[in-house]
Amino acid sequence: MSKENPLSPHIQIYSWNISSLISISHRIIGVINIVALTLVCLWIALLLLGETNYEYIKFFLQSFLGKFLILGLTWSFSFQILSEIRHLFWDFGYGFELITSKITGLIVIFGSIVLTILIYLSSKQIF
Amino acid sequence: MINATKKWMFLKVSSIILVPLMAWFIINLVSVYDKSYVDVIIFFSTQPSKFLTSLLMIVAFFYSSLSISEIFEDYIHDEKVKSVANKALTIFAIIIPLITIIIIFNLTL
Repeated sequence: MSKENPLSPHIQIYSWNISSLISISHRIIGVINIVALTLVCLWIALLLLGETNYEYIKFFLQSFLGKFLILGLTWSFSFQILSEIRHLFWDFGYGFELITSKITGLIVIFGSIVLTILIYLSSKQIF
Repeated sequence: MINATKKWMFLKVSSIILVPLMAWFIINLVSVYDKSYVDVIIFFSTQPSKFLTSLLMIVAFFYSSLSISEIFEDYIHDEKVKSVANKALTIFAIIIPLITIIIIFNLTL
């Protein structure tokens, strides 16, 4: 018996729809999140350098780029959280109907944006 | 139980743990990221943040290791390259959280 498993068809073969968009985004964002979490680990490690050196990191994090990265991370975490919940519902046998799948896909896309705004504003105690 | 089923079970169990942990972490990260050195140290070195951050690191890297190996399975054609990539991924998923947890448990003002 051949040990060569069939490979997934390349993504450009299929026409795009919400399900395929969420599916590939889920994978890409999962990889982005683990890279981001590795940077969080680096940030924690840099705390060992002491208060004086931390001022440089704090300066970067308070800059526009720093805030943009945190906002981006909030969105990518929000997207993965909602997408994982969608997958877990599938695992329990719910949400496979075409219309339900499209609606939950849209909830992941727009819900992640709403969740990002809510998390950012509530963390900054704006409301 | 075959290995593929075990892997799927591990993925799903870690996913159930990961969802609330990710939500907790991102809410707190946005609150603390631009605060002073002392505030950041206090956040990471006190409970429950100390325990939950450590748990997040273990589960997130474990989950990523399993799910990224699925990406390798789908897109890497060469078996040798795939094997090396999977081994490197496993080492990465053990070392990074381990070092981070050691650091978290040694943070003091």
